[in-house]
Amino acid sequence: MKLVIPEAKRIWDLPIRVFHWLLVSAFILAWLTQGEDRYLDIHVFAGYLILGLFLFRIGWGFWGSHYACFNSFACGWRSVWRYLTILLTPQRQHFIGHNPIGGWAILLILGLGLVVTLTGLLTLGGEEQHGPLAGLISFAWGDIGHECHEILAWLMLGLIGIHIAGVLVESRLHQENLIKAMITGYKNTSTEDTASVANHSRLAISLILVVLSSGGSYFYGYFTQTAEHPYLPFIGPQLPDNATWREVCGECHLAYHPTLLPARSWQRLLNEQHQHFEEDLDLDAETLAELRQFASDNAAETHLTEPAWQIEQTTPLNQAPLRITATAYWQEQHEEIPKQIWQHPLVKFKGHCNACHLDAEQGTFEDAAMRLPQHSDFSQLSTKPH
Amino acid sequence: MNKYLMICGMMLLPLAYSHSVLATAAVDELLAEYRSAGATEFSVEAGNTLWLQEFQDAQSGKMRQCATCHTDNLRNPGKHARTGKPIEPLATSVNPKSLTDIKKIRKWLKRNCKWTIGRECTPQEKGNVLTFIQTQ
Repeated sequence: MKLVIPEAKRIWDLPIRVFHWLLVSAFILAWLTQGEDRYLDIHVFAGYLILGLFLFRIGWGFWGSHYACFNSFACGWRSVWRYLTILLTPQRQHFIGHNPIGGWAILLILGLGLVVTLTGLLTLGGEEQHGPLAGLISFAWGDIGHECHEILAWLMLGLIGIHIAGVLVESRLHQENLIKAMITGYKNTSTEDTASVANHSRLAISLILVVLSSGGSYFYGYFTQTAEHPYLPFIGPQLPDNATWREVCGECHLAYHPTLLPARSWQRLLNEQHQHFEEDLDLDAETLAELRQFASDNAAETHLTEPAWQIEQTTPLNQAPLRITATAYWQEQHEEIPKQIWQHPLVKFKGHCNACHLDAEQGTFEDAAMRLPQHSDFSQLSTKPH
Repeated sequence: MNKYLMICGMMLLPLAYSHSVLATAAVDELLAEYRSAGATEFSVEAGNTLWLQEFQDAQSGKMRQCATCHTDNLRNPGKHARTGKPIEPLATSVNPKSLTDIKKIRKWLKRNCKWTIGRECTPQEKGNVLTFIQTQ
């Protein structure tokens, strides 16, 4: 038997390593920002990044270096079964690249990942009317996409858990640090037929540059924003406007856009104009008719925005709430807002939407257009009771 | 340079003046209307008294006065009692737009008398308050 001295050989080229750790970061970023409306733009960026990385990985699976290529690790269930049945015996097989089950994990993560990002785009296009699918998908389909997106993301997390467990088990069984190998690219091998792998540094550097520059341009607005002109990552649709509505309603409070209540609510509110929250509006017939028209033409039933659709869907038909804050959707959306925020000198009144929603005047209420009052104001608040 | 500044300043003078003229014109028209509706001489003092007088709201039991929203210094901006929306100062000396739009004066006198006192103001009361605001 010929003695072969184990030597360190490059197995994972640089693009594969960069891809792997960028994917890890993007997945963590997406996971941490999920469900947080305020950070929707970061979540969406992480999603685009994951999609881009997967597309790159598919390409590199065909044209990449030896161990990155799909045909080096794609195998049938029989190989997986054989690998697993003798895994705990001394006859266990050792693969320098991906082992059969690892190879399957890669393909499953790739496939599932593509479906997760695709359902993410469905959610973005349907619920928010943003992204490449905006305008093509209804709110209802966006909702279904959202459900799938969440379930699939949990499946993905499970798959990642299995992947990490597999890496730890393999590292222990074969006495080799697989995590370190994914960082340095090198593994100790005594087999002579190890394929030689080029590092492809230029491609890896270009990959990093593309990610950095797209991140920079995506979040550029945050660097140029001012206190007067805060950056809005998502600009909502231009909603129908009416000068009389803006003037008459806007004299005492924010001119809430008609999309925020169903038509029956607006009709009731205008019918009861002589007892409008303790005030007598005393509108003349002409003004009243104009307001009625504008309200019924643009009420929640038009589904012009996500809040419009949600409020229309969640308000029982036998109810005509006069306050937007009385709708189930508003209450659900604001249940986690702490008491101190409502008592904050810049907020105080629950109908003061524009205290936190930067696009309240336009009526679009985009998810990422929210800023809670600064914490520095809070310290003043605690020392200065009202 | 100074000459230009002076000329510009001279142009601004009548512009600023025109606003108070407008304010006077709108108020004069209303005062004439109130007189023909039976009001007699209008008094700044009576207007000031009414401005500060407190009335109890029948429903909430809370005390209300003009100053609730407009503060007791008309040169200061006010705040809507319920919503907190800022209200521009009423004093014509700091807000030239104040008391210039006859339709607005009518609207708000009617609405705010109802909220504050619980009834519409008499022509005499309205005239007194307008005369008072004009002196601020």
